[in-house]
Parts: sequence; C-alpha cells; structure tokens
Amino acid sequence: MAMCAAVALACNEGLHPTTCPGICGTVTYHGSLPDSLRDSTAAVLVLAFSTFPQTPADLLHFQPPVPAFVDTGGPPRRFVLPVPPGSYDWVLAVWEKKSATSLGAGNADSLLREVGFYRDGGDTTAHGTGRVHVGAGGADAIDFVIDFTQMHRICDYFPPCPP
Amino acid sequence: MPTVRRLLLFALFVSTPVATVAAQGTAVLSGTVRDTLGQPLRGTVRVVGSALVGVADDRGRYRLEVPAGRVTVRIGHFGYRSVEDTLTLSAGDSVERDYRLAAVAVELQPTIVTAAKRSQFLDQSTTSVALVSDTDLARRAVETVDEAVNRAPGVLFLNGQVNIRGSSGFVEGLGSRVLLLVDGVPANQGDRGGIDWDMVPLADVARVEVVKGAGSSLYGSAALGGVVNIITREIPPGFHARVRATGGAYANPPFDVWRFRDHTGALEGLDGTASYGQGPVRGSLTLGGRHSDGYREQDRSDQWEMSGKAEWLPRPGTQVTTSGAWTSHQYQVFPTWCVATPLPGARPCDTRGQAFQPFLIDSSGAGSYTRSNKGYFTATLDRTVSTRFSWQARGSWLRTHFTDVNPDDWAVSNRIGAELRGVGRSASGRVATAGVEVARGDVTSDIFGEHTQNQLGVYGEVEQTLGRARLTAGTRVDYLDVDGSNATGVLSPRVGAVFPSRLGTWRASVGRGFRAPTLAERYVNTQAFGFQVIPNPGLHPETAWSFEAGNSAPLSSWGRLDAALFWTEARQLLEPTFVRVVDTVTTDTVEKIQIQNVSRARLRGLDASLAVTPLPGLTATIAYLFLDARDVADDSLLAFRPKHLLTLSADYRWRTLSVGGDFRYTSRIERIELEPVFGRDPRVSARVLDLRAGWQRGSVSARLLVTNALNYIYNLVPRTLEPVRTGSLVVTWTY
Repeated sequence: MAMCAAVALACNEGLHPTTCPGICGTVTYHGSLPDSLRDSTAAVLVLAFSTFPQTPADLLHFQPPVPAFVDTGGPPRRFVLPVPPGSYDWVLAVWEKKSATSLGAGNADSLLREVGFYRDGGDTTAHGTGRVHVGAGGADAIDFVIDFTQMHRICDYFPPCPP
Repeated sequence: MPTVRRLLLFALFVSTPVATVAAQGTAVLSGTVRDTLGQPLRGTVRVVGSALVGVADDRGRYRLEVPAGRVTVRIGHFGYRSVEDTLTLSAGDSVERDYRLAAVAVELQPTIVTAAKRSQFLDQSTTSVALVSDTDLARRAVETVDEAVNRAPGVLFLNGQVNIRGSSGFVEGLGSRVLLLVDGVPANQGDRGGIDWDMVPLADVARVEVVKGAGSSLYGSAALGGVVNIITREIPPGFHARVRATGGAYANPPFDVWRFRDHTGALEGLDGTASYGQGPVRGSLTLGGRHSDGYREQDRSDQWEMSGKAEWLPRPGTQVTTSGAWTSHQYQVFPTWCVATPLPGARPCDTRGQAFQPFLIDSSGAGSYTRSNKGYFTATLDRTVSTRFSWQARGSWLRTHFTDVNPDDWAVSNRIGAELRGVGRSASGRVATAGVEVARGDVTSDIFGEHTQNQLGVYGEVEQTLGRARLTAGTRVDYLDVDGSNATGVLSPRVGAVFPSRLGTWRASVGRGFRAPTLAERYVNTQAFGFQVIPNPGLHPETAWSFEAGNSAPLSSWGRLDAALFWTEARQLLEPTFVRVVDTVTTDTVEKIQIQNVSRARLRGLDASLAVTPLPGLTATIAYLFLDARDVADDSLLAFRPKHLLTLSADYRWRTLSVGGDFRYTSRIERIELEPVFGRDPRVSARVLDLRAGWQRGSVSARLLVTNALNYIYNLVPRTLEPVRTGSLVVTWTY
C-alpha cells in the first residue's frame, strides 16, 4: 500500500494547469456584426486546417471536429482549439450562414465566409497563410482580427467565382 | 417413565459434580470475560477435565464454584481464541480473575439472499457476488452507500453512475443497467431509471450484496449488468441508540491559478438512530442531516433524511415488516467546468489564461440548483410454513420529485410494485423458487411529459443437487407496455452450476438480461451540452447474454482467492447519438441528440480478488478487473469503460486501534460519448489513495478518514472534477 502510494505520488499524472492544449490565441473584433447579417448568422467559428484546402471539398476537413464558437463582437476573446500536435497551414475565422440544408462541398461557397485568419508577419505565401507548429506545449499567441466588413467568399480561394 | 423416577435421576445428574466438589472442598472463581476492546462477552468458563461450566452474563460477569487444589479453566467464546488459566486454590478461597479474549478469523460461510432470491451460502451461488459488510461500512467511515460500494471488486462509479464490470458506462444518470434493491425491493427511479444512492441512510445499512452479471431471470428489467441489494439492519430486542457526528474539510486546489474561494470548504453531519424491541414488536427510527460546502465552485449540498422500520412477529414463522425512508436533498449543480472556448450557446467564463479551470463552472450553468425529494415505503409478509416451504408477499411505493433551476425542469414519478414469491425445498435437495411481480411507473414532467409504464413478470428457478454439484435452471417472462400500448414481451432464461472440488468451488452460469427503455429515455425533450435532446418513443429494450466461469478457493488458512472470467454480448444498447434533423420552426438542418438502439457491445474480461490474513490483526485484499469492452457495430472501444481497475486494501487492528487504507487505480478512459465535443479534453488515469484510522473504547468510537489523500486531480467523465482530498472525523456513540 505504502509502495503504491509512493509510486502514485512520484508519478502524479493528474490534471495540471494547462495554458494551451493546441492552438490558442485571441480574436479581436474590428467592429461588430452588421445588422444586415444578424438574422442570417448561424455562428462564427474558429478552426484550423493542417494543409491548405486544395478543393472546396477539403474545406470540410478541419480541426478540431467541433470548432471553437466565438462571439460576433465585443472585447477581444481568447480561443482554444484542442488539436493534436503537428503543423497547421491555416487558422481562420469563418462566418456561417443559417441554412435549411446540411453544409457540404456544393453549398460551402454560399454558406461560408472567411472573416479573418492568422498571418505570420514573416510569411509571404499566397493568401497570406500563416503556418502554425503545435508542439507538446501547444501554440499560443495565434492572434488575429475578425472584420465582418472584410468577408471573403470561398471561391476567392478556388476561383473562378460563380456570378 | 414414572415422574418420581425421572425426578430422582435428574437430582442425581445435577448433584453429581456438586457432590464431588463438596467432597474436596470448593473455592469460588469470579470475574469478567471481555474482548480486547473491553466489550463484555457472554463467554464460557469451563473447568478442564470436568463438567463444571459457567456462562458469563450480558455484562461479561461470571461466577463458578471450582474444586480446591490445582485447576485449569478454559475460557472461550465463538469467534475468539480460547485461553487457559491454571490456578492453585484452597478450599474457601474466593478469587477474582478477568479474562480478555482476542478475536480470531472464523471461517464462516457468508449467507447471501440476492443471487437466487432466497437465502443460500455464498459458495452456492452460480454467479459472482461481492459483499460489503457492516464492518467494511464502519471502518471506511463513509457517508453514503455508494462511497462504500465503490470499492467493491469489479465496481466503479462514474459520477454517481454504478458500473459492474463495465455494465453501464455513463449516460448522465439515465437508464442504469444495474438494478438497485432495498431489502429485495426494486428501487430504481420510476422515470429516469437511475439510482438515488442517498435514499437509504447509511446508518440503517447492515450490508450490501453486489450480484455481477445479468440477473433478469429473477429480477426482470434493469438487471442487465447486475444487482445491488442494500440490506437494512435487523432490530435487536431491548432499547438501543446510536448517534453519529461527522465533521471534515476539503483540500484547496493544489495550484494557485485554480483557487476559487478564500476559505476552506467544510462538511458536517449528524444522525441518530433509536430502536426498541419488546416481545413480538420492534421498531426503529433514524433522523439525520448533512451539509457540504463542496470541493469546487457551486457545489453546496444540504440533505435531511429520515427512515423507519417496524417488525411484528405475530407467531413463530410469520413476520410482518414495514419500512420507509424520506430524503430531501438540495444541492447546487456543477454543470461542466470552465473552458476557454465554450460550447455553442454557452456563455464564456474567465479561465485566467488557462485552457480549462476544473474548479470553476461554465458560466452558462451559473445558479443551477436542484431540489430532490425521494422516498419509499414497503410492507412485507414473510411466512415460513414448514422447513419445506416458505413464501413472501410484499408491496412497495417509490416516489421521486426533482425540481431543477437553470434549466428549469421538474418531474414527479411513482413506482408502485408488488410481488408474491414462494420457495419450496424437497428432501432430495431440490429447491424451487417461483413468483410473480407487477410494477407500474408513472411520470409527470415538463421534459418527460406524462406517461405510464406497466410491467408484469413471472419467474421460476429450480436448483437440483447432483452428487456434489448443484445445478440451477430458471427463466422469467416479462410483459411491458407504455401508456397502454407498445407491448413487449421478453424472455430471460438462466442456467448455472456449482461444483465443489479440492481446487476450490467452481461455478459457471449463462443468462440473459434486459433493460426496458425508461420513460425519460423515450420522451426526454431538453437541452444538454448546447444541443437539443429529442424524444424517441419507439425504443426497444436492450438485451444481453452474460456468461461467466469462476473459482473460489481457500489458500491454506490465511487467504481466499476468487477469480472469474466473464463474457457479455449486448445488443441494441441505448446510447445518446447525434442526429441531423430539420427544425420544424426554422426549417434549418441542425444536429440534435437522441437516445437510440444503436450499439452492439462485447464486454469480456477477468474479475479476480485475493483476501489474505498474513498476521493476526492484519487483513489485506487485492482486487483486479481487466475489461475488454468493444462496440461491435463499429469495431471501436466502448465508451466510458476503463481497461484496468485495481484496488488494494489493507487494515490492521491492534487492541483498540485500527489503521487501514485503500488504493484504487483506474486506467485512463480511452473513449467517451460525444467524442467530437469532448474528445480532445484532458483525461488521465485515476490513482486514489484513501487512508483511515479508528479507535474504539466501550460505547464510543472515532474514525478518521482521508479520501484522495494524495489530492490527485482527475476526472472520469467530461469536464467534471472528481473529489479532491477530503478529511473527516466520525464519532459514534452506541447505547
């Protein structure tokens, strides 16, 4: 009994304070949700892609499976994406439109808008992607701005855009 | 024989030793017989080599005339090591000698009443049974029944939901796959099918029997994974009383960043029991109350409880027993802990820069509070007609009423039941048990609606001795309906065998279990984790075939090993499932949660325990459960089933002092329900050490208990912190 207690004490693998179990940072709102979008807004999500989507269908393969839901305005808000260690090409905020149909590759362009993403200041790749490396201790300070006046269609990334 | 001759013979018989003693001259030996704790014993004082014997009274006092000269007396009592004392006495001496006897382990066959719905020896059971005795309850100094049962071999509680060999998993308390009995009377909630472990005051509990594996062949629905029978105390003759006071404190969080209050949380409780028995009538009453500040934010709890029991023995072989209890429990509800990124619809909370705050609540649950009132009343008539036949009739009423604040929900449910059972024994060793049981459950609730469920069960089981072996076979037929329709019939057979050999007693059984969907599972309409939970009235009963083979063998005179291999194949298990449905109001397609018959599961493993007494006063047990639980439908691990469960216990008693402890290791739960939502949450294995110490002198005892002594911070279900280190002192006075 005493030996077990000593072993348990020596290997205390209980829960410990954790600042970041994946990708963490702060989203700052540049303005608030316009009234014109208020009734049609389903959610604003923060999510990550391990590789930059090559097709609209890839847009549905994000991490984590349930993304972080964030407010649509107000003071800067901290987000935490509990994702496994690895490399992530794109960390972004997405505005989702209310819909009677399930989200799919076919309607992603009409239902989703990119409203902000993390960009590494030294990264000059196309679309300003900012690669995030998540180690065992997570990746913190992945900060970016949500601007509802600068929403981008999905087809901007997979041109051409339909009329 | 003529009366005068009988009297002469009797006079000769009783006067012979006296005449012999008188011829030698006599001395008087007197004193007391007590145990090592000072408790009086009605021990025997026997003069070795003669028929002279005296018996101590209920205060342990004895007086015996012995022949003068050198005499040896032997002092004995069942369950204690005899002592011999040699004295040299002169005629006319009056010598006082006090004797203390040390308790010894006596290999008594424990008697159980649950496995076969009748009294039998433990090693005659075809299924595994774990016992939690009143000694276990007392030395653990626990406050509620579940705390004591939680350390039984093969048993694990997940946030209050009992698992026997991984039977239930965790479904927010809904639909327990374990049937709770109180003195043999079913006591699962009438609406949710869950178990209120606080319904019976611990002070009333004599012992708990845990029957493992499917028990539906005798008990019907809910006995899918096992049966837990709480057996209350018998009422002794005369006046007796017991008062128990408890005080304690919770440890503060081990890291400053987790601190949530500037004072130490406390717990306290007081309960008292008084009983009186005179002639054929006996009665007892227990009153108690408890308060806890809780070990985390929004975790206060207040509970008041009362229970009573009356026994009437109008004539030999007939006993009427009525009992009841009422508990009122008001407690704050800790929703889920605070995380940096809350679920949809939830308000964010301040994590102080942390990913999660295990002691703080998700602020959308701020103010959540529950008032839970529950009670039961039973009346039982036991009649032993002859040594060959006995029968029992009983009626019961169970009522639960809860009111939740944030979200504001409420439900009132009743479960009324009756049973008639007979047990016959033939001269050839055959034992037959047969009975009929009816039950009606109803609920009125804002989230479950207004519904009723009826159940009729007819059962029979026969045990036949064949040489040294005992073979049993039986079955039960249940008929269930909901609101007068959706009628379902379920057949639950079971066969088993017990065979004593030089290598211990072998047992094997195979049986079918089932659990009917509860009214809550069929009709629930509420919110959980930010998702709407929608009803599913068309649910079917979940079923399981359960097989086990085991052996129980003594190890010399110092130990006993019990091991069983078990295998359960379960079908149509009811699990919460994400479904995409079109909202009728907004016409949006949204994800909702619904209970569905989705899973096929296989649970198999090894359940073993070893109990040893290597030294006088020292007892130790080691219990290990290996569980391989898989969802056969999608070839994945079954949620909320840890693979390894190890429990070590040791207790040492020296004179009036005792010390002991338990160590429980639960391997990390590899898979949980709602994996997409909580799958990335931190989960760790559990390593919990409980320490205890006790002191007893005369009518007063004190027990110190430190649970989770290492203050190991862990959780077993998503975002719900398990108890931190808690120290408590229990002082008991017994009259």
